[in-house]
Amino acid sequence: MIAHVAALLASSNGGGTAVLLALGPAGGGGLYFALWRFYRNTDKSHSFESETRVVAQPITGHDQKVDEIKGTKKSGIDGDNKTNHRQRVERVP
Amino acid sequence: MSTMPPPGEGASPPPPPPPVKYPLPAPPPAPVAPPPFAPAQNATVDTSNERLADGVNRCPACGATDIQLRPADGMLMCLFCRHEWTEARLDTTVDTGDIASLTGTTVGSGAADIAADANAVVTLKCGGCGAEVVVNTAEQMGARCHWCRHVLTINEQVPNGAVPDAVLPFTVTHDQAVATITEFAGKRRTFADRAFVRDFTPENIVGVYMPYMVVDANVSADVAGLAEIQTRRYTRGSGDDEETFYDADVYSIDRHVDFTTDDLTIEASAERADMNTAVNTNNVINTILPFDTENAVKWNAAYLSGFTSEKRDQDVSHTTPELERQLLSIARAQLVGSVEAYDRGVRWERERLQVHGSRWLAMCLPVWLYSYYHEKNGESMVHYIAVNGRTGEVMGSVPVSKPRLLAAALTVGTVLEGAVIAFLAMGR
Repeated sequence: MIAHVAALLASSNGGGTAVLLALGPAGGGGLYFALWRFYRNTDKSHSFESETRVVAQPITGHDQKVDEIKGTKKSGIDGDNKTNHRQRVERVP
Repeated sequence: MSTMPPPGEGASPPPPPPPVKYPLPAPPPAPVAPPPFAPAQNATVDTSNERLADGVNRCPACGATDIQLRPADGMLMCLFCRHEWTEARLDTTVDTGDIASLTGTTVGSGAADIAADANAVVTLKCGGCGAEVVVNTAEQMGARCHWCRHVLTINEQVPNGAVPDAVLPFTVTHDQAVATITEFAGKRRTFADRAFVRDFTPENIVGVYMPYMVVDANVSADVAGLAEIQTRRYTRGSGDDEETFYDADVYSIDRHVDFTTDDLTIEASAERADMNTAVNTNNVINTILPFDTENAVKWNAAYLSGFTSEKRDQDVSHTTPELERQLLSIARAQLVGSVEAYDRGVRWERERLQVHGSRWLAMCLPVWLYSYYHEKNGESMVHYIAVNGRTGEVMGSVPVSKPRLLAAALTVGTVLEGAVIAFLAMGR
């Protein structure tokens, strides 16, 4: 079996084969994690952001262009926390 | 290597949407000198139930003291004459006012600070025979006189945190809760720890009145950070060397929102507020929130007859940090719609919260609780399955059988790997 996998890797001409071969361990690990979460529910908590009665006034603010980025390989902003409402940032008085 | 995108792939996308323009924010609010919860601003709302006292409290129809909640209709019922009645809703007896006009800190008399020398154990003098009966308010709010059999209850708000401003009676019955917990655990049977499966006895669930602070707040929040809009996406190279690149505009943005929250519910027991999932499963009790707290009624310890209760041990000052954390999270959630144009995301970097006014009420809220003490390989944890005593919402933690889980993972992993190898071998 191991010799067979080694032969497949040696005969491959790119990273695609290695990615395919990683499917087995990844699938097994993913199943373990998903089942463990389903039983233990350690990620669950009260969704107070959406389950609390909130009356908000119209939002105000402003936007100012401050820079341009050219040719980055990153598909998004560093440290995106637009939807991670519970991540606290610097608190100013 | 070309610096231009290949035809067809690198065409510049349509111009990005202009950022949403908002009216300029109001001038920065003047610094608020006193902290929002300064004791000098505190006002108290009297929520005591003057009709009831500590000790013997009788049925209004026949005078008996055996009174119990009837969860099917949420009414108190005399076990002697079957007369039914209920206490008045708290919001009809106490002026709760408009939340948007709240200023300072208003605290219900049942949410007052717990005195340092307060004792959980209260001695009652029986109004029937004069005997002295001891009640441990950490676990129950009434007891039967061992001499004359009268039921004695604790209804006066003393500074030990035992009697809150209001109680929300159970409406989910024991049988309904057993069925809910059985169904929940039944879905998690295959990979559950074998001892848990063997010992599972849902009939042993306990109805518990848990202590919470229920808070209305009038708030302003400001948040600032950086946001990016993609202006161009293109690829360089070809084949395995092909890479994707992006151009983007960076914006400095800030947002301001004024809002009110109604009945934000926070644990008022230090033990329950500790939600470290590495060592406990308190998070599952938190998950079954919210309750319909607007239907809470004035305190009457008879609602707790037949149930257990936990005593509040957290004051307003203890729960304020958690309130502010939740208010900031709510503020950030409110802002999502105003930054949708930033398709590469937003990094909020600074936030400010001003609590103009808040109103705190202590409440006992109903939870059906199944608990299982699990110990294996020297590690132990209490696993809870909790059912909201009003809505029936359920959440729980079931201990897993690691050998079973590993066997399933290895099987699936091996099958997948075998399929991949067969696929690759066929392609050679």
